[in-house]
Amino acid sequence: MDSSFLLNQYPLNPEVWDEMCSEGSVRMPYSKVYEFLNQISNEDLTRKEEMARRLFMNQGITFTVYSSGEGIEKIFPFDVIPRIITSAEWEFIESGIKQRLKALNLFLKDIYHQQFILKDGIMPVEMIYSCPHYLREMHELNVPHDIYVHIAGIDIIRDADGQFYVLEDNLRTPSGVSYMLENREITKRIFPDLLPQNNVRTVMQYPQLLYKNLASLSPRHISNPNIVLLTPGIYNSAYFEHTTLARLMGIELVEGRDLVVHNHRVYTKTTGGLQQVDVIYRRVDDEFLDPLVFNPSGLLGVAGLMSAYRKGNVAIVNAPGNGVADDKAVYIHVPAMIKYYLNEEPILKNVPTYQLNNADERQYVFDNMAKMVIKKTNESGGYGMLIGSAASGQEMEDFKAAILQNPRDFIAQPIISLSSAPCYLNGRLQPRRIDLRPFALCGPNGIEIVPGGLTRVALREGSLVVNSSQGGGSKDTWILSK
Amino acid sequence: MLSRVADSLYWMSRYMERSDGILRMLRINYAYSQDDIPGFTWKPVLKIFSFADEKEIFRIEKNGREVLRYMVLEKENTNAVFNLVTLSRENARSVQDHITKELWQCLNEFYHVIRDQYLYDSLKTEDPISVMDGLVRQCMLYYGTAEITMPRGEGFYYMNVGKYLERAIQTVNILDVKFSEQDYDLDGTHDPIYWRYMLLSISGYELFLRSYRSTLEPRNILDQIIWNENFTRSILYCVIRLQRSFEKLNMDTTLESYQKIKFMIGKLKSQVQFSDIQTLETEGLQAYLQNIKTELYNIGTAFNHYYFAYD
Repeated sequence: MDSSFLLNQYPLNPEVWDEMCSEGSVRMPYSKVYEFLNQISNEDLTRKEEMARRLFMNQGITFTVYSSGEGIEKIFPFDVIPRIITSAEWEFIESGIKQRLKALNLFLKDIYHQQFILKDGIMPVEMIYSCPHYLREMHELNVPHDIYVHIAGIDIIRDADGQFYVLEDNLRTPSGVSYMLENREITKRIFPDLLPQNNVRTVMQYPQLLYKNLASLSPRHISNPNIVLLTPGIYNSAYFEHTTLARLMGIELVEGRDLVVHNHRVYTKTTGGLQQVDVIYRRVDDEFLDPLVFNPSGLLGVAGLMSAYRKGNVAIVNAPGNGVADDKAVYIHVPAMIKYYLNEEPILKNVPTYQLNNADERQYVFDNMAKMVIKKTNESGGYGMLIGSAASGQEMEDFKAAILQNPRDFIAQPIISLSSAPCYLNGRLQPRRIDLRPFALCGPNGIEIVPGGLTRVALREGSLVVNSSQGGGSKDTWILSK
Repeated sequence: MLSRVADSLYWMSRYMERSDGILRMLRINYAYSQDDIPGFTWKPVLKIFSFADEKEIFRIEKNGREVLRYMVLEKENTNAVFNLVTLSRENARSVQDHITKELWQCLNEFYHVIRDQYLYDSLKTEDPISVMDGLVRQCMLYYGTAEITMPRGEGFYYMNVGKYLERAIQTVNILDVKFSEQDYDLDGTHDPIYWRYMLLSISGYELFLRSYRSTLEPRNILDQIIWNENFTRSILYCVIRLQRSFEKLNMDTTLESYQKIKFMIGKLKSQVQFSDIQTLETEGLQAYLQNIKTELYNIGTAFNHYYFAYD
């Protein structure tokens, strides 16, 4: 087949940075994959796509959708064509994330202790106290090694200029890491030998790194601390991820009802009696951790957990109250935090963001609404969002009214032109918008980032929303060796 | 039971156990080769499971597809799965009246699968892991059929003697080759990926995580693979099972042959059971493994000598 065939068919948008192509030629890191795609027939590629789907299904890499009393197993859409990042790009992203996390951890410690950053006037006080994720219960509570964010999934995007930006800091219970691991396993199966030919770095060490960090938090200095993963249960859409991580680390997967607090210690109820728990890697939101302290109707956590935590008898990962640092309004101040705590220039830039409780900025946003994305500050998963270019006049008016009522709850950003990457859809290569979520682990020995991540892709043509709840899928993410 | 029949059942079973071990090893190593590991080589697998000489190993050690072809289909390689399945089926064919029809059909089917052009083609072009999975499934069918349909008589226990002896030898060989690469150093490499794949290849990784959490260090690994009685590939597990199967053979206990083999198995079991990491430190891992290997081979030879009448 003519080697330019694929390229000619590939509809590039000149206003978007494409990861594979630039002005009619293929970028270097993609050259081998491109060559491979050129040699493979459409039927074979379709067959591989089908094989990937079957592997996900048979391995139970699914989430269940319940409708009319019946559970339907669905897979998180997977695009077979990998997303490739060079070692130089990765080094940049890695150093940027490390710097950012260092500052965010210092910020959380500060905000729950002396609050120097507020006293020095770097951040407005109202911003913190008006954040629903700020937990007074965390005040003056000392966490092991002063680490609040043990696991971060910071979302990175690439704009039309080819620069990387931070879109969001996910510091609560970021999910998706099991897809980073499973997508790689699937690529090994559908494209045998392609990975070693491209010198792709392995991501397999993630569970062991995480385990090591969890173990280091144990309040009891014993050789075999009892570490558990707390899941909301089988109805949670990320349940597959919870079982996978528990299995890969060899730790027990527990639900709230498996735990009990006695005398400020947490125990698991086992056939051999109660066993003290040292570390809880929780995938349950703050609000449901402890009905005595937070939402009293929550059954997902365990009563008395916070008192055990406060006494230092159990470690909770990530720390409760982290939501104050990944609030979308606080996000605006992260570059200032980096300067304040580290006295460094931020390596990774923020996306320009307008604060809507500032009257001038609000007016500017209202005047340019068609070019803006408006987001609620404490929603995630692609909910509570308005994309100006795609919104109707009525929707805009509704948002304006809501903003005027509660300006603190909204921010606006210019519509960012997320970079695109080739996807195999309906039998041909088509560019679709992507982002990147690397998973960073903070432990007592510093921050480690497994060379890889989750590339999410907006599978709908023209869409800029990559969230799985909004029709997004994912890709295997390759970080190349030097 | 005729010596010839016992001999055939014993070898039918040994060859199947070996096929299973090889296929699992190939499957996991192929996955290993897909991670970008500097200096990855198939050498250990070839050393554990084939008689290929240094020159042959050097020729193919970096070429996964070629190793798979060599280990699965190469007729010149006596330990190729192709030859093992053929031999196992030959043995089964001559004792069809002593195994169930289901078991015979199962082996016969495997034999035809392994000879099919389709396998040859798919091994060349398809995803090797899927191909290995298909073949491992054939082994699983064999194990399940034997377990469910075979009457618990002398024949069945000869099959088990073969199975556990073969498995024990494999485990010792795997340890020997894998640790020889680390100079038998008990404090040696903590490269988690190296050990992880070794444990995966003998289906021992999840048990390991549960027992020792994530500290992949040589002492824990040896502890599981030599002494864990609940690990179905540990040396101790295999020797205990070997002993049990042997006792079920209902031999005349006054015969010299019985006494001799009983003594050998009992001695080996005690040696394994009543040694520990300390023993490895004083004796040296290499000598310890060599010693067990010799004992296992001697037991095999004694079965040949006393029951199957080769000499």
